[in-house]
Amino acid sequence: MFTPDDDDEAAKHQTFTRRAMLLGVGQVVCFGLVGARLYQIQVMDEGRYVPLAEGNRIGVHLRAPERGHILDRFGEVLASNQEGFRATLIPSRAGDLRQTLAMFARIVPLTADEQERIVQRAQRKSRSAPLVLAGDLSFEQVAELSVLAPRLPGIATEPAPKRTYFHGDSVGHVVGYVGGVERLAMDDDPVLRLPGTRIGKSGVELGMEDELRGVAGSERLEVDARGRIVRSLGETAPRPGRNVVLSLDVGLQARVMARLGRERRGAVVAMDVNSGEVVALASAPAFDPRELVAGAGADAWKARLNDPDKPLLNRAISGLYPPGSTFKMVTALAALEAGAVTLKERVECAGSYEFAGQSFRCWHRRGHNRVDLHRALKESCDVYFYEMARRVGIGALSRMARRLGFGEVFESGIAFQKAGVVPDPVWKRGAFERGWLGGETVITGIGQGFVTATPLQLAVMTARLATGRKIVPTLIRHNAGARPAAEGDAFQVLDIAPEWLDAVRKGMVAAVNEDGGTASNAQIDGSSIVVAGKTGTSQVSRASSERGQGELPWDLRDHALFVGYAPATRPRYAAVAVVEHGGSGGAVAAPMVRDVLGMLIAEDPAAKPAYRQPDADRRADAAGRSAPERSD
Amino acid sequence: MGNMFWSRRPDTLTQKFLRVHWGVLLVATLIAVLGTATLYSVAGGSVTPWAEHHALRFLFGLGLVLTMAAVPLRIWIGLAYPVFASALVLLCLVPIVGVETLGARRWLSLGPVGFQPSELMKVALVVALARYYQWLPSERVSRPFWVLLPLLMIAVPVALTLRQPDLGSATLFACVGVGLMGLAGVHWGYAIAAAASIGIGAPLVWNGLYGYQRRRIEVFLDPEKDPLGAGYHITQSKIALGSGGVSGRGYIQGTQSQLDFIPEKHTDFIFTIFAEEWGFAGAAILILLFILLIGMVLRMAHGCRSVFGRLLIGGLALTLFAYAFVNMAMVTGLVPVVGVPLPLFSYGGTAMTTIMVALGLAMSAHVHGQEQVGRPQF
Repeated sequence: MFTPDDDDEAAKHQTFTRRAMLLGVGQVVCFGLVGARLYQIQVMDEGRYVPLAEGNRIGVHLRAPERGHILDRFGEVLASNQEGFRATLIPSRAGDLRQTLAMFARIVPLTADEQERIVQRAQRKSRSAPLVLAGDLSFEQVAELSVLAPRLPGIATEPAPKRTYFHGDSVGHVVGYVGGVERLAMDDDPVLRLPGTRIGKSGVELGMEDELRGVAGSERLEVDARGRIVRSLGETAPRPGRNVVLSLDVGLQARVMARLGRERRGAVVAMDVNSGEVVALASAPAFDPRELVAGAGADAWKARLNDPDKPLLNRAISGLYPPGSTFKMVTALAALEAGAVTLKERVECAGSYEFAGQSFRCWHRRGHNRVDLHRALKESCDVYFYEMARRVGIGALSRMARRLGFGEVFESGIAFQKAGVVPDPVWKRGAFERGWLGGETVITGIGQGFVTATPLQLAVMTARLATGRKIVPTLIRHNAGARPAAEGDAFQVLDIAPEWLDAVRKGMVAAVNEDGGTASNAQIDGSSIVVAGKTGTSQVSRASSERGQGELPWDLRDHALFVGYAPATRPRYAAVAVVEHGGSGGAVAAPMVRDVLGMLIAEDPAAKPAYRQPDADRRADAAGRSAPERSD
Repeated sequence: MGNMFWSRRPDTLTQKFLRVHWGVLLVATLIAVLGTATLYSVAGGSVTPWAEHHALRFLFGLGLVLTMAAVPLRIWIGLAYPVFASALVLLCLVPIVGVETLGARRWLSLGPVGFQPSELMKVALVVALARYYQWLPSERVSRPFWVLLPLLMIAVPVALTLRQPDLGSATLFACVGVGLMGLAGVHWGYAIAAAASIGIGAPLVWNGLYGYQRRRIEVFLDPEKDPLGAGYHITQSKIALGSGGVSGRGYIQGTQSQLDFIPEKHTDFIFTIFAEEWGFAGAAILILLFILLIGMVLRMAHGCRSVFGRLLIGGLALTLFAYAFVNMAMVTGLVPVVGVPLPLFSYGGTAMTTIMVALGLAMSAHVHGQEQVGRPQF
């Protein structure tokens, strides 16, 4: 096994010796570098870090950035910060913790229980990390605490801005609210580790968290044994969060909320079809973040979470509804594009449709007789669209739906958007482990069955139909650093033949304006503005097809939907209304969209000069100047 | 050394015992004693929870070194590849059945005992590379294929530990492995080519790093930016070092360190505590002790007749150097924080075991330094 090889060994030994000497020299050089570095820190810079007096110590204190404000498109403040003070405690400096707390409780009332809880918290956490003892101090309390500071070691008062909301009852769902940080990872933003930090929990507060939060600053302080600051060794100013300007018009939003508020549950979306800017986003029942942030306590939360009407749910973006007949434009376009039907072809509607031994009803029991596409859209003939769906198949339907915005979650700056379902055989196998049935294609043709969408997605569909462009919705008007939203730069053209889009638009105009149309309630009385639109009545229970809506208990009635845009000739705004259990789209949702479109056209928020915030970067600079950056 | 009297008869245990390099063990003991004293100080003047354990572990380790010193080299040669192979298998198992602590999967659970395969690999890699070069004739050492092979042996564990993620171990594998190849005589050209390709490949590696690893590197470049966040460790460490000054704040008097400002103060950042309490003077002495120790180990390697033995000892020198240098450079802000302990000094059983096993192997190579080891089969 062993074969001695002396020459080779000797050669290897020689190389090794040379290399080992190099390594020896190398390690001396490397350790010399460490030594030089230590010399620099410990000897040359000595004094900078040596505390002035025995017992003093140097610590780095984080400085919180101010959270950005949220404004509406005209600069009306929806969320900002109010000045406030809080008391913090650093346990390692407190001396006898219980005694200090008892002293503190004479100024700021704390029960014995609360004091005990603070002691326990102090034991669990790092002893040098500050704890918040009390927020929301009065000025008298702050003054008293400062006077008594020598007897309250480790306790400090500091400014603690409080998030405040305005117009909460009308924009609560959109703006959202803030709350405490729940979990922390080591590499998280240091802002999160600051006691009392609040972060967005829903709505724009969560959707735009990165913009709003800002960047923490820091200050190196020498403090004495009692926690009093002796000197500052240099600081970096915090960079405040950016203001976020919404595309929302809060005045219009309030009126839309009031109009929607006549119903128990529902949602309205109003959108500028050319920019994709959402001008109003309403959800009923309303919810006001002020009631929850101002220390409402667990009961208020529980009440809202258990409310059957789910007031915390923003139905405009998180409510999923079968689109019902508002989906018929999708079916029409899919059929036209596939060449499965011509504009002239008529389909016989005898009031029901037979497929694979099943009978599918048209809402018009006696039938529409022979209908072409135009009349089918105008009178919302179900049989025509059953037949179209059968002709093109589920694949073509779901592809067209996706192109018009179904199934998509948009980057609109608001959290908790739902994607909904655009069904196809692959999806069904994944969701139910069952194969696709032909009958399911047929009912998808009229927006029933598995397909669901949010009101926001329906508004996107309407805007895309109206403009022929791939409109993407946004709630954010502009913010510094990012490009001014959508303004000016046009969206990509949808690759759907203009003549097919035109035919569908004409059908939508006819539904509202021609005799026999299902949506005549959407006409704006005494106005020359022509509305185009489509009703939808989506079935909630089987019972609804058997009996009249009025006879049904409320929660079994159909959802009422309407999608529309105006003016029909040169579209400016799209509006969508969904009223849960409203009964009939034509009777309940169409008048609501009419009123909303009327307000939009009359006030024309998109035409008014919008608020331009003084450049947010300049604002940050200004903040930096007031607390100049000193390098040390 | 009179190797003309070298005899084929195996040495007695007493002969072996007398040949142990007591100087190396003495310096190692000095460092461990300083470490124990610092751990006593970190605990606020208490032998619990760290100092006592640390001293006991080191004593146990010394026993292990002396035991391993008596084992002849052919045993290690025989074990080299099997141990390397099993370390590789265990490393591969970690992501599948490993235990997750602090967000990283590094441990295998063996009943009540936790075990980090990456630690086994630190020793196994050295032994495997030493055996490889024992076998490889010197004219082939710099041939591309025979360079590629050991590179692969290094790259696989590096990749596996990077995935855990354990940047510290990956750094050590790379330093020690490549260093060993250098000691074995691989041509300089490869080092230059490697440096060039790192220049090109660095952006690619950057993309493969985890967010926290990238942040550590970013913050290393400008730690002041984020002093309570990712730069917290370095900033606080520098403040503590600076407050030590030339002569230090005195034993158990390091206010910065005593007050929880320093994270991981008993493990990765223990050098900060030592340097705050003993000042630049104390830190310089500790650095000199490490230079002395590594120098003595290198001399020990030089006196060894076989490639295998020399590389075993060289592996110890490289391991000590990589650990100590990276750790000290890390706490002084010269290199990013990668989570490497100071050998013999930091508290922690796994690192202590690794160092003592490496020391045991080196001692065995030294004790059997005059033995001729032939070429093993591949």
